[in-house]
Amino acid sequence: MKPIFKTLILMLWISQIPAYAQNAKEIVRKANELIRAKSSFSELTLEVIKPDWSRKMRMKAWALEPDYSLILITQPAKDRGTVTLKRKKEVWNWVPSIHRVIKIPPSMMLQSWMGSDFTNDDLVRESSIVEDYTHSIIGSEKYGGYVCYKIRLLPKPEAGVVWGKIISFISKKGYMELRADYYDEDGLLIKSMLGSKVKKMGGRILPTHWEMVPRDRPGQKTVMDYLSIKFNLHLKASFFSIKNMKRIH
Amino acid sequence: MYLLLSWRNIWRNKKRTLIVASSVFFAVILATVQRSAQTGSYSYMIHSSAKMFTGYLQIQQKDYWEKRSLDKSFKLDTQQLARIKTIPHVTGFAPRLQAFALVSHTTQTKVARVVGIDPQLEDAMTGLKNRLQQGVYPQRTSSKILMAEGLAKMLQIGVGDSLVLYGQGYHGQIAAANLPVGGIVKLPFEIMNNGMVFLPLPLAQEVFSTGKRITSLPIMIDKTRHLKTVLRQTKLLLHRDQTIMTWDKMLPELKQSIEFDNISGIIMLAILYIVIAFGVYGTVMMMMAERTREFGILISVGMRKTKLLIVTTLETIFVAFLGAVVGMLGSLPIIYYLSNHPIHITGEAARIYDKLGIEAIFAFNNDPRLLLSQALVVFIIALASISYPVLFIRRLNPTEAIRD
Repeated sequence: MKPIFKTLILMLWISQIPAYAQNAKEIVRKANELIRAKSSFSELTLEVIKPDWSRKMRMKAWALEPDYSLILITQPAKDRGTVTLKRKKEVWNWVPSIHRVIKIPPSMMLQSWMGSDFTNDDLVRESSIVEDYTHSIIGSEKYGGYVCYKIRLLPKPEAGVVWGKIISFISKKGYMELRADYYDEDGLLIKSMLGSKVKKMGGRILPTHWEMVPRDRPGQKTVMDYLSIKFNLHLKASFFSIKNMKRIH
Repeated sequence: MYLLLSWRNIWRNKKRTLIVASSVFFAVILATVQRSAQTGSYSYMIHSSAKMFTGYLQIQQKDYWEKRSLDKSFKLDTQQLARIKTIPHVTGFAPRLQAFALVSHTTQTKVARVVGIDPQLEDAMTGLKNRLQQGVYPQRTSSKILMAEGLAKMLQIGVGDSLVLYGQGYHGQIAAANLPVGGIVKLPFEIMNNGMVFLPLPLAQEVFSTGKRITSLPIMIDKTRHLKTVLRQTKLLLHRDQTIMTWDKMLPELKQSIEFDNISGIIMLAILYIVIAFGVYGTVMMMMAERTREFGILISVGMRKTKLLIVTTLETIFVAFLGAVVGMLGSLPIIYYLSNHPIHITGEAARIYDKLGIEAIFAFNNDPRLLLSQALVVFIIALASISYPVLFIRRLNPTEAIRD
């Protein structure tokens, strides 16, 4: 092969890199936008499954991306009216049975939210998936009947992220994130988020059944089913206030 | 023949026999009382602590002790409970559901150990009712709670006020409740008095959403020395995922302090044994000196030294045995009396006991095994003094001995 030829290929290859990276980030952004939009209101059930025990909750959730969300539990009766409010990096709980608003301290951020496989931290951090990581496409794989981009997300050094890396599967058609594997700093798979039951809901086609499966605890998972979603409603930041938290039902 | 000879020899000079026997006798009594006092006070400490905190034994779900999580609780099985009740020496048990939670009143918030108890069973085991300072001791079905006095003071909460409780229930569910305070109890240790809340068990199970679960089943027995037997029998009744813990695993500090103290006791005992040994040895030596002439004549008229040795050895054994047995019998009433009428402590020490909520007494152990073992040790020590007559007779020169 002639040297000139080699250089040409090399140049072509180099020129591909930023384009690819841009592309990966764009894909993640689109996938993120698909399920979050600018704002949303959804009703869902959340089932916590342990090897010898399970519990189902029903809830309503309001969200104004990227900073605000409010979750109201409607079932079971014992927890009815319990509200979790997220404002930027802070989380509060309103517990009606004791008439108290409780701010979740930083030390409790990594604890389970309502006994599920989601942590309080998950509620706060999830939205930074576009900004806090560098993304690269590492392949193309079929998952759940969809041809997907396999994208690797590495946390930026300055980002306060607990994961070592995330491998995300995003469908080439429709930009649905169907699977995300969360690895720790040692490269060990900790948990997987699996999406399925793709349906049209709130005017969009998206997975409506989600499972969070911790890999170190066999027989345990958290299952989320969307019952309805509305996107891009008129929600103001003032809606997500501690005052409103006590009023909402 | 030898036996008869030595038996007659002993009673030829009663005074001499009585001196040796009584030195062994008092040695046995001394050693027994010393050991009885020591092990007795340990038993008393263990018993009081077991009563106050953990019970002698606790049935738990496996991993509970390490994780202290409500998720490691277990369903109380009434059949199992009924069987445990029938084990001999078991005097009581008190199912508990224990968790940590934030407790709050007005603007004050503290972390507290929240314990669901069966009020009647708990009182029978720990005497909780006697610690009541204000209010009413709850019934099992009551919806009112008991608060430790120190914690109540910190939160500025009184009988009739409502305590806000917030924490994690079974499998991470929210445990939140507004609970009226029904009574205030004063607990012996600061760490308990400043951080404990008692709920009737059904109420606790509701607040923490555990269903019919408990985290531990402490079991009380009558005497420390029966622990092994009860442990063995209780183990047979355990379910597959249950485990059993003994007081020494749950209260390692107590065990260590006892072990430490025990060493000094054993050193004291060793000194006592040495004193005893020399006492008996001295008496035997004197007796030999007394009988020099007798031995000299016996050997001169043709008694063989070995036979003489056997006879004197048997004599010593007889006398030592006599002393040991009589000493054992003699210490029986003493120990019996002391264990039933323990010495009451007064002064500063008594106040410490009082604060802990246990009777200020110095207890004695009336375990028959203790009596036997002490008598045996002293008997063996006495036997060691046989070495003197043996040496003495072997070296005996009959001509010199007669001339003495």
